[in-house]
Amino acid sequence: MRADHRYPGYATLVVERRGPVGWLVFDRPDRGNAMDATMLAELERAWVDLDGDPAVRAIVTTGNGSAFQTGLDVVQLGRDPDALREQSRRTRRAELKLTAWHNGVWKPVIAAVNGTCAGGGLHFVADADIVIAASDATFLDPHVSVGQVTVFEAIALVRKSPMEPIVRMALAGRHERITARRAHQLGILSQVVDPPGDLRDAAQALAATVARNSPAAVAATKRALWGALEAGLTDACRAGARALVDMWGHPDQIEGPRAFTEKREPNWA
Amino acid sequence: MTFAYSTYETLVVERRGPVGWLVNNRPDQLNAMNSRMRDELAVAWTELDADPDVRVIVHTGEGRAFQTGVDVAEIAGDGVGMERYRRSMEDFDLHFTAWHQGVTKPVITAVNGICAGGGFHWVADADIVIAAADAQFFDPHVSIGQVVSLEAIGLMRKMPVEAVMRMAFVGRHERMPAQRAYELGMVSEVVDPPERLRDAAQALAETIARNSPAAMAATKRALWRALEMGLTDACRAGAGDLVSLWGHPDQAEGPRAFAEKREPRWQVGPAEA
Repeated sequence: MRADHRYPGYATLVVERRGPVGWLVFDRPDRGNAMDATMLAELERAWVDLDGDPAVRAIVTTGNGSAFQTGLDVVQLGRDPDALREQSRRTRRAELKLTAWHNGVWKPVIAAVNGTCAGGGLHFVADADIVIAASDATFLDPHVSVGQVTVFEAIALVRKSPMEPIVRMALAGRHERITARRAHQLGILSQVVDPPGDLRDAAQALAATVARNSPAAVAATKRALWGALEAGLTDACRAGARALVDMWGHPDQIEGPRAFTEKREPNWA
Repeated sequence: MTFAYSTYETLVVERRGPVGWLVNNRPDQLNAMNSRMRDELAVAWTELDADPDVRVIVHTGEGRAFQTGVDVAEIAGDGVGMERYRRSMEDFDLHFTAWHQGVTKPVITAVNGICAGGGFHWVADADIVIAAADAQFFDPHVSIGQVVSLEAIGLMRKMPVEAVMRMAFVGRHERMPAQRAYELGMVSEVVDPPERLRDAAQALAETIARNSPAAMAATKRALWRALEMGLTDACRAGAGDLVSLWGHPDQAEGPRAFAEKREPRWQVGPAEA
């Protein structure tokens, strides 16, 4: 499927829209799509572009080449530490701006893991709403093998999936990988696409399906569910109840049941 | 003396041996919850929890659905709409699940067919969930312009989150089969053939009923409270539940029966210790 719109001005990402689906594609294939200073800056801008475009109802992140994302570009870190100084400051303050969650994007986000997802690449799995993967995708966290601490990615992942495999991945470092099949069994992701070449079509189809739902209800749901990871069960339910009631009276809330009864596609506000 | 249950219009409430049964009984409406059912559920949970002969509660549905959420026909039909739920929802003052009602006995949800949208309340709020092999799970809220909230918030604490979010955002356009729910740990047993579901639920409930009611109540309290707080605080509060049973007759009877290779005789009713 051809892009309907390509957002201009990106050197390390491809950012485009296909139908109702925004695509954010990591595009440094000869560097395993590692994040250098340019990509870090462009990511923040890409989320703003995609979030600000009303034609985008759902967003897919994926990578060009054999890797999905392999984290911070350690080559640049070694050669030119100054280039990543701003990033170090943000890391210290837990103010990263890499993912949709970091950037307060309330459109649904699907991570389509096309190959190796390593270290900081796990941010984009941890912070996605839905995760699918090519059958040959693999997951590993080499931080401790290169003398670095694993923190944010694993903290989010242990809230979302069984803990033991995440801790094992963090402690085994680069010496072990989780396969797409195993990640599916564990509920880290919900769909394995085989052959791997079909991944983008599967992601586009899934995102287009999500895009059929009420954008207002989807955004309110996303806020309620991610907010729930911040609080105890009862407090989360109390906040969630408010999110529920806030939607009452919204046009979509009346249009939805009506369209269902009349057996037609709804016209969302 | 046998405990006398109220008369129900939308539910079947009964006891079989040590097992209390709460059956959603609006099969023609796929067991959707109208105002009457909502009110009856509040009473049914309280009565089953109060009946001293009931040790474990099973919740299932009549017909081809387990539960499909709020009765949309009632919402659309009488001009009151969702407003009937506004006050209780704004105050988060709900009374239709065992968790809402503070039920102290173990609750098994036996999903007999379609479980959609609001039906997840009783999956999220049960202690144990089993399902018929032909059960199906989906959450159509966002497809009809409604927000997914409480049900998913509960489920997210209990199973892999990605699966819950996928259901929330895909809406009515995809269904999760019982087998996948089993793989993900949302349910612990798939019953095949599906007709055996109630027998399997009764058997599981009878097995659980062999354990100390006092110990199970304290365990249930500790585990659900743990969903409210961080790890260390949960352990600290749980230590209180642990110690609360020391000196209780069951605590001496259990090891004695084990040593004597016989079934224990548990104390029923309020602890005197």
